[in-house]
Amino acid sequence: MTSSQTLLHAQQAFMAQVLDDDQPVPDNWSERQAAGMDVYRQNYRSAVIDAVTSTYEQTRQWVGEEMFQRAAIHHVIAHPPSGWTIDDAGAGFAETCQQLFADDPAVAELAWLEWAMLGASRAAEATPLSMEDFGQATAQFGDEDWASMTIEFLPGVAARPLQHDLHAMWQALAAGLQQRPETTLQDTRGCIVWREAERPTFMMVEADMVLALQSALAAMPYGEICLELAGDNPDEQTLHDAAMRAGAMLGQWLQERLIVGLNA
Amino acid sequence: MTSIQPFGGFGLGLRKTHYADFLESHVEVDFVEVISENYMIDGGKALRVLEDVRARHPVIIHGVSMSIGSAQGLDADYLDRLKQLEQRIDPLWVSDHLCWTRTSAHNSHDLLPLPLSNEALDVVCDNIDRAQSHLGRPMLFENPSSYVTFPEDELTEWAFLSEMTRRTGCYLLLDVNNIYVSAQNHGFSADDYLNGLPLDRVRQIHLAGHTPRGERGDFIIDTHDRAVCDDVWDLYGQARAMIAQPVATMIERDDKIPPLPELLTELDQARSLASNAMAGLSA
Repeated sequence: MTSSQTLLHAQQAFMAQVLDDDQPVPDNWSERQAAGMDVYRQNYRSAVIDAVTSTYEQTRQWVGEEMFQRAAIHHVIAHPPSGWTIDDAGAGFAETCQQLFADDPAVAELAWLEWAMLGASRAAEATPLSMEDFGQATAQFGDEDWASMTIEFLPGVAARPLQHDLHAMWQALAAGLQQRPETTLQDTRGCIVWREAERPTFMMVEADMVLALQSALAAMPYGEICLELAGDNPDEQTLHDAAMRAGAMLGQWLQERLIVGLNA
Repeated sequence: MTSIQPFGGFGLGLRKTHYADFLESHVEVDFVEVISENYMIDGGKALRVLEDVRARHPVIIHGVSMSIGSAQGLDADYLDRLKQLEQRIDPLWVSDHLCWTRTSAHNSHDLLPLPLSNEALDVVCDNIDRAQSHLGRPMLFENPSSYVTFPEDELTEWAFLSEMTRRTGCYLLLDVNNIYVSAQNHGFSADDYLNGLPLDRVRQIHLAGHTPRGERGDFIIDTHDRAVCDDVWDLYGQARAMIAQPVATMIERDDKIPPLPELLTELDQARSLASNAMAGLSA
């Protein structure tokens, strides 16, 4: 064993002791050294829980301080951070909430929203296409160009289907949660998150738009998105309706300034 | 490797709470220091604020996650991100801590202690060589505060730091509060510490508050959540009188951050003590 491998093993053991209060300290440590380890354990725990709390401020408010603390502690024990940025301590917290708040599934959707907003807040800068830019870029497009066109979105754009009314929840939270709104949606809808200038924002949309946006974000050509919207074995009218629907979505994405480029 | 020229001045850590103060008024500081990792991002408001502040003040980028003492080496992605920030900001210098923070599997996001062994010294020096080579400039490393010493220790902390600077050409960020905290926690002499350091390598001094013994057990904890205490001010005056070259001094506050004028008042105290110390040096 080389000397740096000795240090490597010592650091792996030390880290295990920091992460897990039940891990014993080395046999040759004094009581004072063991007490010193407790300081590192507390520092670690409070730093990562503070980071999770800072990312999920609305979720904390929604579930209450005590429940949130329990969830955050559960999360950092189950998923100790591995990345160099402490912000990543909150990665996967929506899934933790899905598990812990099974009787209130709106919590996991709210946590997803906050994580997506953090991602949008630190995403790269890009200049959205204006309607005019789009018109110029597509002025000479033939049918094949439209069919093969892929769309580039603002960095940090995220989308998911929703069963709960995040908009109503967000408004209630902004008002200090004096009244809890009805959160369950009658039909599945969707949420799109992006950054508008310096401010992360979101809107609720129809469920089919989320599916189309997710496909577009994955670089699916526009023609295939139209076919996807038409579903299986479409007739001519259904294909026509799907193309109209895709066109309306494209218009809305442009209007919201989500699109930064086109590739045909 | 180029050298780092001394820069004398008094500054503060730039924290989110004070963004508006720095953007909307002239703040009487000679530099600001930022936590590197908060700005190692692709875009958004934080980076825009930093660029605006950089247009008004020299900036130091100070990291907490390089993990220079990791036996497994440095994280290539981290170094690339840090280099991008360094190129974007053109800082006075780049600094981090003599500590380790991660293994291949996990990151503690805390500054963990190294055994003061020759083995650890070899690892640290190899990692510093790699970091400085990647950045194309020498770095500063800060003496840590700690709560554990190791049976494997072979060197004093000041001997470790001396050898580290000699072998790598790096410089020192002297955290006076950390000297005080570790001296109290481990029972060594702060005088011996200062006397044993290559003080000509010091380019910056940190001043901060700590949680006194008794509030969280039998240790003094380096919490940066209150004003600098009298003992640390005394040690600062002593250190400053021993350092011949100009150094950049700053107040570090990371928790329970007060309004900016309170920190500027503390900074004035540092100015006054440094002025007295320099008068003593030239007498």
